[in-house]
Amino acid sequence: MTSATAQNRDNLARDFLPAGYKSTILQQFVNSLGRWQDAQILDIGPVCQENITYFAIRMRKHYACDMFLRLKREGSKGLSSGDVWRHLDYPPRNFDGIQLWDLIDHLDDGEVSQLVSLCYSMLRATGLLMLIAFEKEPALPTTSTFVIGQDYHMSLRPQPHLKLSWHCRHNRALMSLMGGFNIVKSFQYRNGLREFLYEKPGLCRDE
Amino acid sequence: MLKRSKKDENSPLPDSAKPVTPQSNSALTPPVSKGETTTIGEHIAIEGSVRGNENLVIEGSLKGNVELEKHNFTVGSKGRVEGEINARNVSISGQLNGIIKAGGKVEITKEADFYGEIKANSISVEDGAYFKGVIELNREPHRKPAFKEPQKGFSSFEQAPKTGMTPDDTKKEK
Repeated sequence: MTSATAQNRDNLARDFLPAGYKSTILQQFVNSLGRWQDAQILDIGPVCQENITYFAIRMRKHYACDMFLRLKREGSKGLSSGDVWRHLDYPPRNFDGIQLWDLIDHLDDGEVSQLVSLCYSMLRATGLLMLIAFEKEPALPTTSTFVIGQDYHMSLRPQPHLKLSWHCRHNRALMSLMGGFNIVKSFQYRNGLREFLYEKPGLCRDE
Repeated sequence: MLKRSKKDENSPLPDSAKPVTPQSNSALTPPVSKGETTTIGEHIAIEGSVRGNENLVIEGSLKGNVELEKHNFTVGSKGRVEGEINARNVSISGQLNGIIKAGGKVEITKEADFYGEIKANSISVEDGAYFKGVIELNREPHRKPAFKEPQKGFSSFEQAPKTGMTPDDTKKEK
């Protein structure tokens, strides 16, 4: 990325996106998964250098599957959105944590239900699901990446190549879509972002 | 078309990822490339394994394994590769479906589509790249995972920090 492009993105983020913040839910997600030497996390995208590095140095193996770009590509081909989930072809009970970021803000209710069902299948018992939701559609129409910084600080970086539809929801509507998951914690920040941490029910972790 | 250049001036790898000139015969000195590069042109398709002692750039298609242990491997923006890659540094601007084992760095540019597994010392991924895969960074024997141990085990969920949060006026929801 050229410095001019980077500067332009910084300006867009400053002018049109929520300010960076310290993520309490991320801290809980990371510290809780730290119990397992062999914890496996799935990052659902958008692909981001900082996040890949962050998890790759902490995990034995780090999985990433950019569903944001897949949604955009499948949408531009005119394929039904149901087809996009075939890319999440991981075995059942494979992950201890899934980072959904704000993907559900770009899905309708039917698509969210399909995704949540898949996540439920892919997670081990007691596995964690972290998601973020905007309170309202941001002024900048493009999707953004949540970039992990030091001490669980998160900032937003615009992704001009990703323009996806928005489906912002109230808390109750959002939580009703989360199927059989148990809510662990949720936080609402002044910058207009909400974070949720869910757990797959179970007495102990699947081996 | 096969092209060979004596100098690796057009390597897409950053300077930090380029092979270094050998300083001595010390066992600690990393293996080096002599700087020669072969390019497989975009109208060439290869099926089968490739083994070599110089850098390789694929602009065409390659289906098979690549063994360039001490040299760099590049998939150009029009290149398509399917197989297992063993090289020093790997740069992808086209499509690669397979396994990468790199002694150095793997670089994935914004034009790239990658599916597979990566084992390397370091990795860089540009915004805009498509990535579906598994990353395993080579660890030094003494290096420990950087996760902090949870202070109070799983029950820490029930003890979310009530102070010290940023922003201070964060609201906790029911």
